[in-house]
Amino acid sequence: MSDTMLEVRNLRAGYATAKGFVRAVDDVSFSLRRGEFLGIAGESGCGKSTLAYAIMRLLRDNARVESGGLLFKGRDLVPMPAAEVDALRWTDMAMVFQSAMNALNPVLSIGEQLTDAVHAHRSVSRDEAEAMAVEMLALVDINADRLRSYPHQLSGGMKQRVMIAMALILKPELLIMDEPTTALDVVVQRSIIEKIEELRRRLGFSVIFITHDLSLLVEISDSLGIMYAGRLVEYGPAAALFNEPRHPYTEGLMNSFPSLTGPLRRMDGIEGRTPDLLSPPPGCRYAPRCRYARPACSEGGCPGLAPSGEGRLSACPYPMGGRADGGVAGEGGRL
Amino acid sequence: MIKDFLKTLVSNRKSLVGLCLLGFFVLVAAFAPLIAPYEPKIDRLETVAELGEPSLEEEIVSEDYPSDSRDVIVYRSTTTREYEKTVDYFPLRAKPSAEHPLGTNHAGNDLFSQLVWGTRVSLTIGLMTGLFVTALSLTLALLSGYLGGVVDDVITFLTNVMLVIPGLPLMIVVAAYVTMKGTLPIVLILGLTGWPYPTRLLRSQVLTLKGRDFVRVSRSLGERTSFVVFREILPNMISIAMAEFFASSMAAILGEATLEFIGLGNVTVVSWGTILFWAQANGALLSGAWWWFLPPGICIALVGTSFVLINFAIDEISNPRLRKR
Amino acid sequence: MKYFLRKLGLLAFTLFVSVSLNFFLPRMMPGDPARALLDKMENLQPEQLDTIRAAFGLDTDDPVIVQYGRYLRNTLRGDLGTSFSRFPTPVSEVMRVALPWSIGLMGLCTIISFSLGTLIGIAAAWRRETKLASATVGFFSFVRSFPYFWLGLVFIYFFAFRLRAFPIGGAYSVDAARGGAAWWLSVLRHGALPAATIVVSSLGAWILTMRNNMINVLAEDYITVAMAKGLPIRRIKSMYAAKNAILPSVTGFAMSLGFVIGGGLVTEMVFAYPGIGYMLYQAVNAKDYPLMQAIFLFIAVAVLIANFAADVAVMILDPRVRDGAK
Ligand SMILES: Nc1ncnc2c1ncn2[C@@H]1O[C@H](COP(=O)(O)OP(=O)(O)OP(=O)(O)O)[C@@H](O)[C@H]1O
Ligand SMILES: [Mg+2]
Repeated sequence: MSDTMLEVRNLRAGYATAKGFVRAVDDVSFSLRRGEFLGIAGESGCGKSTLAYAIMRLLRDNARVESGGLLFKGRDLVPMPAAEVDALRWTDMAMVFQSAMNALNPVLSIGEQLTDAVHAHRSVSRDEAEAMAVEMLALVDINADRLRSYPHQLSGGMKQRVMIAMALILKPELLIMDEPTTALDVVVQRSIIEKIEELRRRLGFSVIFITHDLSLLVEISDSLGIMYAGRLVEYGPAAALFNEPRHPYTEGLMNSFPSLTGPLRRMDGIEGRTPDLLSPPPGCRYAPRCRYARPACSEGGCPGLAPSGEGRLSACPYPMGGRADGGVAGEGGRL
Repeated sequence: MIKDFLKTLVSNRKSLVGLCLLGFFVLVAAFAPLIAPYEPKIDRLETVAELGEPSLEEEIVSEDYPSDSRDVIVYRSTTTREYEKTVDYFPLRAKPSAEHPLGTNHAGNDLFSQLVWGTRVSLTIGLMTGLFVTALSLTLALLSGYLGGVVDDVITFLTNVMLVIPGLPLMIVVAAYVTMKGTLPIVLILGLTGWPYPTRLLRSQVLTLKGRDFVRVSRSLGERTSFVVFREILPNMISIAMAEFFASSMAAILGEATLEFIGLGNVTVVSWGTILFWAQANGALLSGAWWWFLPPGICIALVGTSFVLINFAIDEISNPRLRKR
Repeated sequence: MKYFLRKLGLLAFTLFVSVSLNFFLPRMMPGDPARALLDKMENLQPEQLDTIRAAFGLDTDDPVIVQYGRYLRNTLRGDLGTSFSRFPTPVSEVMRVALPWSIGLMGLCTIISFSLGTLIGIAAAWRRETKLASATVGFFSFVRSFPYFWLGLVFIYFFAFRLRAFPIGGAYSVDAARGGAAWWLSVLRHGALPAATIVVSSLGAWILTMRNNMINVLAEDYITVAMAKGLPIRRIKSMYAAKNAILPSVTGFAMSLGFVIGGGLVTEMVFAYPGIGYMLYQAVNAKDYPLMQAIFLFIAVAVLIANFAADVAVMILDPRVRDGAK
């Protein structure tokens, strides 16, 4: 069997609203190897959650996949009948949701919520299911006596770890994590990320880790994808991307957080706002905010991901070297 | 703010239907004298024939009673002119006919006219009570939610106590003690038993708003209390206050009808409730006079429905989750 | 536990307020209802007039506060005074006869209506895109604006007068021997229309509340999680959605109960059903204040107890309340 876990091919998805169709995921392609850790970063509203829900086939209500393919272990999820998806979901791929605070049912105990997932997919006895739950909780450093606890009796970090345990309880091969640490404080964020990394080593699943905070991805990602306004604008090995961003947006994102190791830099952020997905600007969607933008950038179609050497992909047609003068070099001087 | 709110109301299909329905009844109430063929408590028509100056003293020349429902009286005034006065009594308990589209009641009053005039009374009481309850509960909610502390404790406690005391029985008991009968006492009774629920709802809205950033900022900037309350909190409570107004008005119309039906209102006033009271008291039901007791109930239900529709729309506007996608 | 005690305290105080209202209302009302009553009733027997005077404290020169103390003591002992209109029967005796009918009718109807309404509300929210769901919701919002008593009138007209399928009023047939099978059957036949009136007119409130709660809950993340986990639909609907959605319904139960009982009272009046509602109607018409007060007090107590039961139910259903976290 091939080494590819998931292949996303030209995926388009979005929401039908009263004002029109909001295409939150636009022509996104990437692939994920077995055991790989892929980080996806981008500002709020760029379509990260929509992508995650689309992969899980969990888009609800007014949302739908327009076109494209989602090949999970070679089988396309998009046209797959619901019953088959149900059989795959949570056994082969699972997800940790954006808000742990609301992802747990307040009126059921932790134990029940962990075991009902088991009972839904495996015919095991109560005790066996409970044993699995205890084992999973132990993996995320939660004591077995918490099985009887209710969500409100746990701290935010514990809830998130319970969610991770819940996602891993059936030993899935793919774990999607949608901003699993956003609501938590920095120290807890760290510990959770370390935990995930440790579990991945031990259990060998692939991870898609979604965040708007690029700094979280520095040390643990194998590959990185950067999303902007529904599109993937840069994709490649994490280390290379960090050392030498090739899309101006990636650079902007990296400037928006303080580096723990490097020299102290001002947190610039990126000026301006993300475009309205109902009517995105012509040409490159980042052009109106791009410090290097040229007139040609705001014309024509939206540039797609193109190989930029060394196995990397970038959606900016202008190689980084050509604009080095205005780039990172000038940044340090502004302090 | 209010303009925006009204605009959204009109653009929503449900509330538009509701507003039209309510508008219809308001028009009927306003133009009752033009719409109703007779005064509500008239039971006869008098016509005077022959010309001449009316005079103070009169002498009856002849009296004739050609039928049960007609008197013909000829009389002479001091100026020796003669007049003929014909009195046509309305039939009692008549079925619907061309002259009386909804028939007549036990006293010979035209039921259609009563229904039209009754709209005025019932709607006035309903809307006045709604206004009273909304104003009262809004004041209490603002005091309680905004000031906090002891004021809040006291008001919240009172609200909770009054919430559990069943409304209708209390209303009945209070109404039974009231010796003065009229519109104002009814409004007071309905209003004073109807405030706890809206107060509770509005108070929690005040608390939510108080925690919002923009209010917190202007409070910390030392804006005057009146500014914060009237410029920042109140405008954001319009939709929920409107919803409470309509809900209270509906409860009031139902409550008024109930009190009058039991005989605790002023039974000499013509309203939807008293029409039903007299219908029940005179066995309309068992004589099959559906035209007597059906229309007032339908009117009440239609007005109620208009309020419900408007509130559906308000709910949808303020709670996106309920919105149809 | 603290939650429990606080609730208990509130209920006790509410009871105290209800009792006190009974005492102060006739004494504070403008227009002096007591004198007005006495003026109207001059043709009564002297003992009867004395009862009336005693009930309003017109027979002593004791200060109000002393009268109040005495009144509280009597009430606590279950002495609610003597009925004016059924002189010299004590009020408690009159109530004893009427109560079983009301408790049977209203208790049963409330349970039916709450369960049925909640179930329909769940279904209406679950399939809210369907025509049937919107039609149900629309229909019951319309029915909800009918006055209770009017619905009763309409039912009597169509089912009792026109179709002659049910008796017009009363609670049982006088021909049958009390307690026999025929008698019980007659009780059912007599109860059917009043029960239908109460259920039909109160159903809408439960349906709408439950539907809205349910729609709110269905948008929660834990529902998405449950679906992602691949749980059986039945479990998602009951343990994830409904169990959360029913909490506000149960909390609101108390308040709505006041309405249901109010409606029940009026329904009894329309059907001349010999429960406390009809009794209240007669008391109001006869200006039988002690009976009226006793009925009010009884209803208040009943609602308080139901309230307490609802609180306990919430405590059982909601672990957050159990821990005093909410
Ligand atoms: N139910 C919906 N209906 C219409 N538009 C929606 C809906 N949900 C999301 N969107 C829009 O789709 C776009 C992408 O949303 P998405 O939740 O995927 O963003 P995100 O990258 O996950 O943001 P965040 O970091 O805030 O979670 C946004 O512009 C949002 O406004
Ligand atoms: Mg998101």
